[in-house]
Amino acid sequence: MNAERHPVERWTSQSLKAGVLFSGSVMILGLVLYAMHSFSTPLPQHNPTLIELVHRILSGSLDPFTLMYIGLILLMLTPFLRVLTAVVGFAVEKDRTFVFVSLTVFFFLVAELLYSLYR
Amino acid sequence: MTLFSFLILLVGGVGTGVLGALLGLGGGVFLIPFLVFAFNLPMHQAIATSIVAVIATSSAAASVNIERQTVNVRLGMLLEIATVLGAILGGLTANYLSNRVLTKIFAFLLLAVSIVMIRRIRGDAKDETVHQGGVLGGSFVEPTTGKTIAYSVKRVPGLLAISVIAGNISGLLGVGGGIFKVPAMHIVGAIPLKAAAATSNFMIGVTAAASAFIYFANGHLNPLVGATTALGVLGGSFLGVGLSRRVKSRSLTWIFAIVLLIMAVQLYIR
Repeated sequence: MNAERHPVERWTSQSLKAGVLFSGSVMILGLVLYAMHSFSTPLPQHNPTLIELVHRILSGSLDPFTLMYIGLILLMLTPFLRVLTAVVGFAVEKDRTFVFVSLTVFFFLVAELLYSLYR
Repeated sequence: MTLFSFLILLVGGVGTGVLGALLGLGGGVFLIPFLVFAFNLPMHQAIATSIVAVIATSSAAASVNIERQTVNVRLGMLLEIATVLGAILGGLTANYLSNRVLTKIFAFLLLAVSIVMIRRIRGDAKDETVHQGGVLGGSFVEPTTGKTIAYSVKRVPGLLAISVIAGNISGLLGVGGGIFKVPAMHIVGAIPLKAAAATSNFMIGVTAAASAFIYFANGHLNPLVGATTALGVLGGSFLGVGLSRRVKSRSLTWIFAIVLLIMAVQLYIR
């Protein structure tokens, strides 16, 4: 999988950059809102679960801390993107062994995500 | 949180990002002591923040992708199976360890890292033996000479074993583990240093992601500290990548090795 020859690598780089910038923007938004409340909003007693965060996004109740959590979660998801594009890259090269290897890594990541989802 | 502590945290994040990018590490070894000493953050929260910072450094550097030709994606993915497994186990066990025990383990890690760093400075001039071929082998163009360097990977089972340990340390202590992966790939796997560093950088974000959600689910991620630090680290990483051509790595490495030694002693006494 050579970077110069493969559009998949370029796509990986661009989507990673987009992911990093987007997650950063959401965190900045959260911090700006927090600063507008003169740095005094008390920290939430408990971390929300991922499911709670999704509910808050859907219902549009986005307080500063929820935005910070969403930004952090998006950042934490960027490596998933990297592994997934590797799977696609190896599939394009018809390298079955490494499609399997990358899928295994992806499987572990998803398993960990599911574990934390249902805790 | 006051505006002052917010700014200090942001500056700390930028510093971590710059150092991480300059030294080719995730920066967790610098960030955790900073959070523990300057902000009195509990160890578990400091680790969770550091894991996010490692992801930020790795993803930012990968998106800039200056070394993309040197990344051995095949080798990275293969070793990542072992590392992710180790990291998940580390993330799970960390929740059962006390603050005191984690701090002591971290002090020993710092000590080990500083010794590895000093050894690395002294072994800098060593010639790299290069052999071609194999499924895992790779090649890249050395920018200083313009030559294409092809290499094969040796002792893969040994590399896999070290990867489990590196992943475990990462999950347990919230560091990227790059400081172990790079010398291991170079010394055990006979991989040229440049390819080893780039591949390690590719891996650390994935390794950190493997325990990040566990720390999140266990309630250790402080949104304010996490978001502020992550933003600082993102900015710092981009800055560090730009700076890296102008700073002498040898003198930097010496300074950091000494700083790490001092922090190791302080953390242990604490």
